[in-house]
Amino acid sequence: MRDLGLKVSGVLVVLLALELCSRTGLLSRDWFPPVTETYAELFKLAAGHPLWTEIGRTLSGWALGIALATVLAVPCGILLGSNQTAYRMTRVVIEFCRPVPSVALIPLAVLVYGVGLEMKVFLIVFVTFWPILLQVIYGVQDVDPVVRDTARAYGLPPLARFFRVTLPSAAPYIATGLRIASAIALVLAVTAELVVGAPGLGQSIVVAQSNANLPRMYALIIVTGLVGWVLNLAFQAIERRLLRWHPSQRQEVAQ
Amino acid sequence: MLEVSHLRKVYGPDPTAAPAVADLDFTVADQEFVCVLGSSGCGKTTMLRCLSGLIPFTSGEITLRGKPVTGPPEDMAFVFQDYSRSLLPWMTVRRNIAFPLRYKGVDRRAANEATEEALDAVGLAGRGDRYPWQLSGGMQQRVAIARALAYRPSILLMDEPFASVDAQTRSGLEDLLLSVKQRYGITVLFVTHDIDEAIYLGDRVLVLRPPATVGHAVTVNLPRPRDQVLTKQEPEFARLRGELFAAIDGRSVAA
Ligand SMILES: Nc1ncnc2c1ncn2[C@@H]1O[C@H](COP(=O)(O)OP(=O)(O)O)[C@@H](O)[C@H]1O
Ligand SMILES: [Mg+2]
Repeated sequence: MRDLGLKVSGVLVVLLALELCSRTGLLSRDWFPPVTETYAELFKLAAGHPLWTEIGRTLSGWALGIALATVLAVPCGILLGSNQTAYRMTRVVIEFCRPVPSVALIPLAVLVYGVGLEMKVFLIVFVTFWPILLQVIYGVQDVDPVVRDTARAYGLPPLARFFRVTLPSAAPYIATGLRIASAIALVLAVTAELVVGAPGLGQSIVVAQSNANLPRMYALIIVTGLVGWVLNLAFQAIERRLLRWHPSQRQEVAQ
Repeated sequence: MLEVSHLRKVYGPDPTAAPAVADLDFTVADQEFVCVLGSSGCGKTTMLRCLSGLIPFTSGEITLRGKPVTGPPEDMAFVFQDYSRSLLPWMTVRRNIAFPLRYKGVDRRAANEATEEALDAVGLAGRGDRYPWQLSGGMQQRVAIARALAYRPSILLMDEPFASVDAQTRSGLEDLLLSVKQRYGITVLFVTHDIDEAIYLGDRVLVLRPPATVGHAVTVNLPRPRDQVLTKQEPEFARLRGELFAAIDGRSVAA
């Protein structure tokens, strides 16, 4: 409770300082409107439909991209994680593709898919595939040998070993991969909208800026931040629930 | 009956390399309690892993009730040296005990009964819903034993199971093991580096010399049920201890 109070007052102090800077002219009003105006605009936007539509557009690219990347990366990661030969063969390819800066692909994506949802999804899939893939590989490779032996000694057939042992013990890695992917995917979705003008939050920010509607631009930036924050919270909550058993999530219990 | 003849195990691809198990011959009769005593690194774990079918051996023969061992036998249970790592952290205590039963073809009801009975036998009734990591080391070891008991093996292999629990817990676990062995009529092959423990528990003690060959075997003529205080005061106990100490060749037997 006390912690929450401290957090809230911290935020309020920062907002107040910004407001003062803007009102006194310390920050030029040409590019930094008072915080109160930004928030007034934010609430106005939140009441109307367009904001939620834009959030929906950005998030649908995010969700489709991550879902597709997961569907592709998890089986690949399981294969590469459990087969040394396949892993060695593909390592160079992975090491080469992974660091390609995502924005460098935007022209290609536009060329192939135009400026709509598909383009965003393609970018997100291409970029988030790698962190998920690597985490799955590490997770599968990192199954405790004692656990593996236990399952074999007690006669679990291979498929049961996979579902009862390999998958659960790789789950924390997969969750980390998804959390990383989620953050990257949001950045990519917004970037694609900003640069190419695909519909979504990013495009609305550009439009507000070119109409010189600064409070709205700031309001939309805040919304983008909030979306990222909420997504991160959601992932953390899911992890806490599913990975109760993992050392990072364990909570003390009364004896 | 477990029969081991000319067992040899060399790790790695080169069969002329130094063996971890050189030439091992012994038999364990049904319902017998045999302790294998040997210093650290003399090949005890390797021997057990061969016997349990977890790893292939280089040459020799292992038969369990006349059938050659090529993979983990159905009626064998294994308690690992690393007991805490052999419990699956994402399963409750109860599920840790019950999960192997399904793959043995035990129906759900019988599995539940066997689980509760095993929990009760090791004094953990009422802790079934805990996770292993919420229990102390001694309790975790009891869960590992309960899992082995619920599996209703005809033979139980144990790899220094009490090496890392404190002395008090250890004597409790030793007596627990003796009483459940009596109750279920199991054959036990128990590996340890502790001379007193081997004499206290066993009907017979085999001394392993590196690289694993049976250097010496003694029959323990001490009355059962054994008692932590009285048994260890018997002159026979002291005599056996002296004999085994000499057999280990003055070599340090501490871990
Ligand atoms: N997986 C392995 N690969 C290669 N050498 C091993 C392996 N496991 C054990 N060894 C070697 O085999 C010998 C016996 O080891 P181990 O069976 O673990 O002995 P103990 O259980 O009696 O301490 C040791 O020299 C050890 O280094
Ligand atoms: Mg060992």
